[in-house]
Amino acid sequence: MRARVEDVNALEVWHLSYRYADGTQALRDVSFSIAEGERVGILGPNGAGKSTLLWHLNGLLPEHPPKTPAVWVFGVPVVEPHLPAIRAQVGLLFEDPDDQLFCPTVEEDVAFGPRQLGKPEAALAAWVREALGRVGLVGFENRHPSRLSQGEKRRVCLAGLLACDARILALDEPSSGLDPRGRRELVALLQGLPVTQVIATHDLELAVAVCPRVIVLDGGMVVAQGPTAQVLDDEDLMLAHGLERPHILRHRHPH
Amino acid sequence: MHHALRDPYHPASSPIHRAAPPVKLVLAVAFVLAVVALPRGTWPAHTFLGLALLVGALASRVPLSLLGKRLLAVEPFALGVALLALLQPGGLHVFLAILAKSTLSLGAVVLLGATTPFFQVLRALSRFRVPSLLVTTLALLYRYLFVLVEEMGRMQRARRSRTFSRSRWVTWRASAAVIGHLFLRTTTRAERIYAAMCARGWRT
Repeated sequence: MRARVEDVNALEVWHLSYRYADGTQALRDVSFSIAEGERVGILGPNGAGKSTLLWHLNGLLPEHPPKTPAVWVFGVPVVEPHLPAIRAQVGLLFEDPDDQLFCPTVEEDVAFGPRQLGKPEAALAAWVREALGRVGLVGFENRHPSRLSQGEKRRVCLAGLLACDARILALDEPSSGLDPRGRRELVALLQGLPVTQVIATHDLELAVAVCPRVIVLDGGMVVAQGPTAQVLDDEDLMLAHGLERPHILRHRHPH
Repeated sequence: MHHALRDPYHPASSPIHRAAPPVKLVLAVAFVLAVVALPRGTWPAHTFLGLALLVGALASRVPLSLLGKRLLAVEPFALGVALLALLQPGGLHVFLAILAKSTLSLGAVVLLGATTPFFQVLRALSRFRVPSLLVTTLALLYRYLFVLVEEMGRMQRARRSRTFSRSRWVTWRASAAVIGHLFLRTTTRAERIYAAMCARGWRT
């Protein structure tokens, strides 16, 4: 039975639970779905399971891919034989850009993904330039990653994911360590990227600016989900889960 | 952020900087091989190679003081080996030979590093069919050396800001803790880097 393309969600997570080897139950029965083109914030305090959840979206976790899947990407279950294809579609942005930028130059780093995916060498340079253009870093090809600012590093990481033709971006704390300008530029960049985005963050103002919908995670469980303004405006809910009602919403009341 | 570790590359406009990296790599390797192959005591030949290196260094427009400083920084390793040679009978000749050969070889490598960005050396290596696993390892080493030194600098500063004792022993113990902690951080970082590589399609 085949669903029509437009009926298939970009991401489908169904009864996902995960326990780390040390016994920590990081995710408990998490279920949600995200349509193509949506930008969804995953909110929650530190240790809520946000990163663990993101690592499941492209099969980096669990360590041994399960026989019965709990995550589907465009209808394809995240199980062993599909991992290469799924990792090309789900671009994961790590919290520390230094973990992700492992090549000696920006150009080689952005080319790393497409090269693994078998993009012909002759087309790589133009491909990399285009990806760098999309994040506003034209001319950075020969720069050394350790010489970049935190915001530039993040954008190079994003270019590396876009160069893989990722259709879903899973971003782990994309605004951490950015100064206000870097953050503003990131917000504008994310708003302008026409791909599905899952953004794990406790930067609530970023969530308000970028994500129309949020999912609140605490103790590995989904405790709330819905339109961003509505969920974040619930002060009791926010405080109960280590978050707060963002100022930006306080000043938006109609009265 | 201030970097404690400087990139060995020293940008300048010179014929040596402009020369094709593979050519420079071959020349440097050939030079080192020639130095190693020279029989002990052939001082005129040694002098000739030394002069050739000096001409190269002058042509590169990299300040000689900079090259000299870097040479001195790596020399102790060679000196350690050379000093051991002094212990054997007739050791002085061996000592001088090791010292001359290592200085010339290291000089060539220092000059190569100062005039060629490291990533171009890596590209040249893979063009010469050096196994890609080795090139990748070198590239990762070069990349994370900077991250590691920066991390160590941060931890040392944090430690110093909380060390009130002037006792050597306390300082030593705290340094040992920093090194241990750095090792732990490095292994967890290595795991994350590997995950990041897998996330972008790396298959072993």
